[in-house]
Amino acid sequence: MATTEKMSKTTTPTHWDADIPVNYVYTYGLAGEAFFRAIKDRGTFLGTRCDACDITYVPPKAYCDRCLEALDKYIDVGTVGYVDTFTVSFKNMDGSEKPRPRILAMIKIEGTDGGIIHYLDGISIEEVALGLPVQAIFKPKAQRKGGIEDIIGFGPVKR
Amino acid sequence: MIKRVAIVGIGTTGFRPITPDVSYRELIFEAARKAYTDAGIEPSEIGGFITAAEDFLEGYSICDEYCPDQIGAVLKPTQTIPGDFIQALATGYMMIMTGAFKTVAIEAHSKASNVKNIDELMGFAFDPVYNRPLRETPHAIAGLEMTRYMFETCTSAEQCARVVVKNKGNAMRNPYAAFGADIAEKDVLNSDPISLPLHRLDIAPHADGAVVAVLADGETALALSETPIWIEGLGWCTDTPTLEMRDWGEAAYARLAAEMAYKMAGIANPAGMIDFAEINDEYSFKELQHMEALKLCRPGEAGHLLESGATSYAGDIPINVSGGALGVGHLFEASGAHKILELVEQLRGEAGARQIPDVNIGLAQVWRGVPTATGAVAILSNM
Repeated sequence: MATTEKMSKTTTPTHWDADIPVNYVYTYGLAGEAFFRAIKDRGTFLGTRCDACDITYVPPKAYCDRCLEALDKYIDVGTVGYVDTFTVSFKNMDGSEKPRPRILAMIKIEGTDGGIIHYLDGISIEEVALGLPVQAIFKPKAQRKGGIEDIIGFGPVKR
Repeated sequence: MIKRVAIVGIGTTGFRPITPDVSYRELIFEAARKAYTDAGIEPSEIGGFITAAEDFLEGYSICDEYCPDQIGAVLKPTQTIPGDFIQALATGYMMIMTGAFKTVAIEAHSKASNVKNIDELMGFAFDPVYNRPLRETPHAIAGLEMTRYMFETCTSAEQCARVVVKNKGNAMRNPYAAFGADIAEKDVLNSDPISLPLHRLDIAPHADGAVVAVLADGETALALSETPIWIEGLGWCTDTPTLEMRDWGEAAYARLAAEMAYKMAGIANPAGMIDFAEINDEYSFKELQHMEALKLCRPGEAGHLLESGATSYAGDIPINVSGGALGVGHLFEASGAHKILELVEQLRGEAGARQIPDVNIGLAQVWRGVPTATGAVAILSNM
């Protein structure tokens, strides 16, 4: 079909609508299994450590991505960390507005080289700052399923 | 004689927000025809072909199989690189350096307007177990990077907004660009908050378009072209995909790719040697972060250099005189293709209203976008 007028929509000319009806299962693997089991059963985070490279991985990896040694010693790194960086997220995946903006943060877990990307909970936009100490808040044990959503977010550190 | 590789032909469709009149293959066909005409070569004479494309953006499984037709590569040595055009350029360079190929054609395109929910697609690039369940947009990851970068370098939101003003302004002189505009910093800072500190206008909008380039070995290049544009340096690298283990403030992937390219090109003092650069600005702050990673200035200096006018069209080191991704459009795997196109036109002296006078060495740098940490650098010269 020839086009004789200016088009402003991709659906103006003849076209075919399509989607990709494919579903997946992503197994956690050894390190992921250990990490989420510790969250679910004990409400704490695990990491793995490469002494040779002086790196503590959180979430844990079953290998050091620098020297490629196998890592199988899991250490409890606790649930306290600090805000390494943050953003105030306004949009849903479909471009619509979130009911309220949410603070997404990279939480560096104390004494490690890694951490968790999750929401801040009970901390306002005015209060948030880089370096702010925070602590993980988990769902009640009975509601945990062994996934990243077992974490409600990170809030002020309880002393 | 030291063996060299040159770009002897280049063709493009230009870049537009949507291209509903043609299929992606017809888009590529147009760029290929123009490139082969520019090089003075028939596709039957070309030794090998490479397309830079990625299945999910194409909406095809094994999209490689759909690449040969429209570039004249049917029943020829052809392959697809699931990366940026500059990564494909590096492969083409190496193919010619083996001596097995005298000419190689490289293609990249974007038909982003074919994807109805592109944020969802980019979100599918996140780790499915640790990150995807949060259902955050890719822009949120860029927002995390921006906060940390601004903190570490004392860069202001106004400086980031000024990148947008500069690049959209530059794009007004570029007939290929889709998003040229005359705006002010306050327009950027007052635009819709997406993932603060990122506003709507800090983010490069998607565009469609295709580019094809023809590479040749030195001898063939001198026979084919009066203005061969030589590939002097190439580098590429990828950081860990684990977001939680990343350095959020620094673009290490760009620094290391640049070091590789500078070493190959014999450039010890990039700020003094590079005449102009096309660098990734898919998000406003990325231009500043990448300038520092490329050692065009020291960490924390990029915003001040921008404010001094040094990186503007008439400055000492023009950055993104084409308009960059903010002005031309975000082209996915064709991002590097657009940058190489700009370098070639500038170095040939064919850049029209945006021609920078007396340029000999240009640098192109790409990043594969959120959530990747892949970067590539190419250095071209006309000498």
